Formats: sequence, structure tokens, C-alpha cells
Amino acid sequence: MEALSGWGDDFFQGSVVVAQVFVASLILMVIFGLIGAAAKLSGNRLARTIAGAYTVVFRGTPEILVILLLYFGTALTLTAIAQLFNPEIRFIDVPPFWAGTFAIALIVGSYATETFRGAFLGVTPGSIEAAHALGMSNLQVFFYVRVPEMWRLALPAFGNHMLSLIKDTALISIIGLNETLFVAKQAIGATGQPFTMYIVVGLIYLGFSTIITLTVMGLERYGNRHLRQGT
Amino acid sequence: MTSDAPLIRMQAVGKRFGNFQALANIDLTVTSGERIVVCGPSGSGKSTLIRCINRLEKHDAGRIFIGQTELTDAMEDLNAVRREVGMVFQSFNLFPHMTVLKNLMLAQRLVRKITRQEAQDIAMHYLERVRIPEQAKKYPIQLSGGQQQRVAIARALCMKPQVMLFDEPTSALDPEMIHEVLDVMVDLAKDGMTMICVTHEMGFARSVADRVIFMDEGRILEQAPPLDFFQNPRRGRTKQFLSQILQH
Repeated sequence: MEALSGWGDDFFQGSVVVAQVFVASLILMVIFGLIGAAAKLSGNRLARTIAGAYTVVFRGTPEILVILLLYFGTALTLTAIAQLFNPEIRFIDVPPFWAGTFAIALIVGSYATETFRGAFLGVTPGSIEAAHALGMSNLQVFFYVRVPEMWRLALPAFGNHMLSLIKDTALISIIGLNETLFVAKQAIGATGQPFTMYIVVGLIYLGFSTIITLTVMGLERYGNRHLRQGT
Repeated sequence: MTSDAPLIRMQAVGKRFGNFQALANIDLTVTSGERIVVCGPSGSGKSTLIRCINRLEKHDAGRIFIGQTELTDAMEDLNAVRREVGMVFQSFNLFPHMTVLKNLMLAQRLVRKITRQEAQDIAMHYLERVRIPEQAKKYPIQLSGGQQQRVAIARALCMKPQVMLFDEPTSALDPEMIHEVLDVMVDLAKDGMTMICVTHEMGFARSVADRVIFMDEGRILEQAPPLDFFQNPRRGRTKQFLSQILQH
């Protein structure tokens, strides 16, 4: 354990990066998922086709490959574009934080697309009709009836998506993001103690996923409060 | 309270679902304070008829006026019309994630844009009228079917509509709960509410209706005051239908 001394700060910093990637990718994932679900449920054939292609591609390719492609792909593309204007430029670096965050948000967002689609279909059509009959506008029906009914249907699968996100942050170390696994590799290089360092990383991730699981459990209890009999 | 200006006017209204002619050449005028019962075999277009009145279904032939406003695709404010037309469904259709009180307050707050306190006072007033103020804090699933339907009636009344549409309000209920819902509807009728009820409760039709309408295959075959309708049905199809439902 004394091998850990001197690395505590680095692991803490790494954990902060994990949390930051998680929050940013969670927000993006929800946006991608909602857009994907809306497209799949829309009457527009082009939108449905694009959303279909999105889920096929991102659910059907290895996550690490998506991260690498997005990171090097955008970097090379940006460099090529920049060189058109200024041939002096050698290479434009894309921040690994954003490349990685976008990559895992796109991947998990493709799963969330299906989750949200199913949840919207699960909302009872009767209450939506009743809301319209009461004179509520489409926007009001969406935010006050559809979403409050759908989110609890989506929640169990959505909890799994959040766990996928937090674990996928470890993959971003491969493009040089200094999160916990990246810190562990440096620490191993300096101390020669791979077992200790990897265990620390494991415990950090377990801590994060426990928080997520407990949060989802609390939300489920709140979301299903109206299904409990009696008072 | 009754005035002669028609509240609802339907002129030669038609509606198709694919190849199925749900409504054909419907002419119907409803004046304020009138109570109309619509009956007929299933698939005869009764529900479609009243669903066209608040445009949950769009008619594709003829014209429909609510007061002075015509229902069209180009109309500016459909929701203003819907506010005046209350609707009660066969399957209650309460918002499952909200308490009874919230169910009654939501549209008042969003559509009538009144304060929380006002909305709550109005909600409690109508819960008293349907005789279940003590259930205000419960969720719909914790209530019986009859109670849920009474909440649904109260929810529609909270919008202070000019006319109430009932789409088979007692068909999904256990027999012992039917009368508690009908009692509330009778009270409403006594207070002069304009009502159009799709129902097979002929006792209700007898005691409350000004006019009974019989529909078959998307058409109005016969309409008459209840006494006339039950004692001297003119059409063979009406007689056949009445003998079937009055046997039970």
C-alpha cells in the first residue's frame, strides 16, 4: 500500500476527469437518444432511415474502434482542411476529452435511442388523447403527459446505459485522456506494482457505479410512487 | 338558460377510415341545454360522431360548427374550441402519474392559466359534486373504476365547458359501479348541462334525454324523444336493436 503514497492526488485528478466525462457524455447521450427516438417514431422516411443507420453502425462496431476513428478521423480531417488554407500546419490536435466524450455518447446514445423509442410507445394513448381533449397544446402534452409517463418506463434500461457510460470512460485512456486508468499505467511504470494500481482503479469505478445504481433505485421508487396500492 | 342559437351544427358530415365509411351524411343540431343520447350497434359510428365534435377525429366531408367557429384544418385555435367541449372516455384516461387533485388542476393551470389556488378550489368544488373529495390525494390506480370515471367527469367539468361529450362512460365498469357514474350524469343534466352521451343505458336515456338518436352503418337512422323512440320505433333496424338490448 505504501506504493500508493504520492499517487493519491493523481488518482483523485483522474477521478475528477472520469466524473467530468461522465456528466458531459450523459447530457449528450440523452440528446442523441431523444433525437434518435424522435426520428425513428417520425413519419419522415429519411429521418427513420438515418436513425436506423445510426443505431446499426454504433451498436454494431467495437467501442474502442469508434473512439479511435473519431479521435484520429477528426484530427486528420481538420488537419487536411486547415492545410488547404495554410500549408505550414503539420497537425491539428483534437482534445481527447471531447473526442472521447462524443464517441461514448454516440455509442450509448444509439442504445438509448431504442430505449426511449420503446418508452414513448409504452405511454398509454388514452391519457394523451384526454390531454388534447382538455385543450392542451402539443408542446404541453409532450412535457406534462408524455415525458412524465415515459421516463419511468425508460429508467431500468437507462440505468444500464449510465453504467455503460461510466465504464466506457476507461476506454478513453487509449487516446491519452488522463483519467484513472491512464494514471494507473504511469504509476505502474514508476512503481512496478500493477496489481495494486489496477485494484485502485477498480475500486474507483465500483464507487461511481454504486452511486449511479443507488440513484437509479431512488428514481425508480419515486417514478413508481403512483403504482403503490393504498396510502 | 336555454337559448335557441345552436351550440353544435353538423352538416352532411362524413368520415372514412380507409375503405370503411364510419360516418355518412350526418346532420345534427344541438342547442344549448339539450341532452342527447346516441345509441346503436358497435361499429355504427357513435364514437366517431362525438370524436369529430372535438376534432379528435377529422371529418372529411361536410361542415361542423361549434358556436360560430367552424372546425377546419386552417382554424387558428382548435384548443380554444376544445376548452369549451368536455369529454369523458370509456377507459377514463386519467393521467396515471398524477394525484386526483393534480389531474383536475393540470389543464386549468396550463389552458385556462389561472392561479394554483383558484385551480385547486375549482377542483375541490367539482370533486365534491362527484362525491369523492376524500380521494383528492390518491393516484388513479388506487381508485375503483367508478371513482376513476367520476374523477374524469370532474376533470372535464373543471374547464367549465359549454357541452359535455360522453363516450360509453359506463361500458368499462362493473355493474355495481354503473349507477354511481350515472347518478353524477343525472345531476349534471338537472343542472342544465348540454350533453351528448353515447351509451346503452336505456334507463338513463328514458329519464334524462330530450332526444335519442339511433345510428347504424355511419348514418342517423332515427331520432325522437325517448318516449316516442322506445314505444314507436319506426325502423325495423331500430326495433331489432332495441329488442336485443332491452332483453337483458
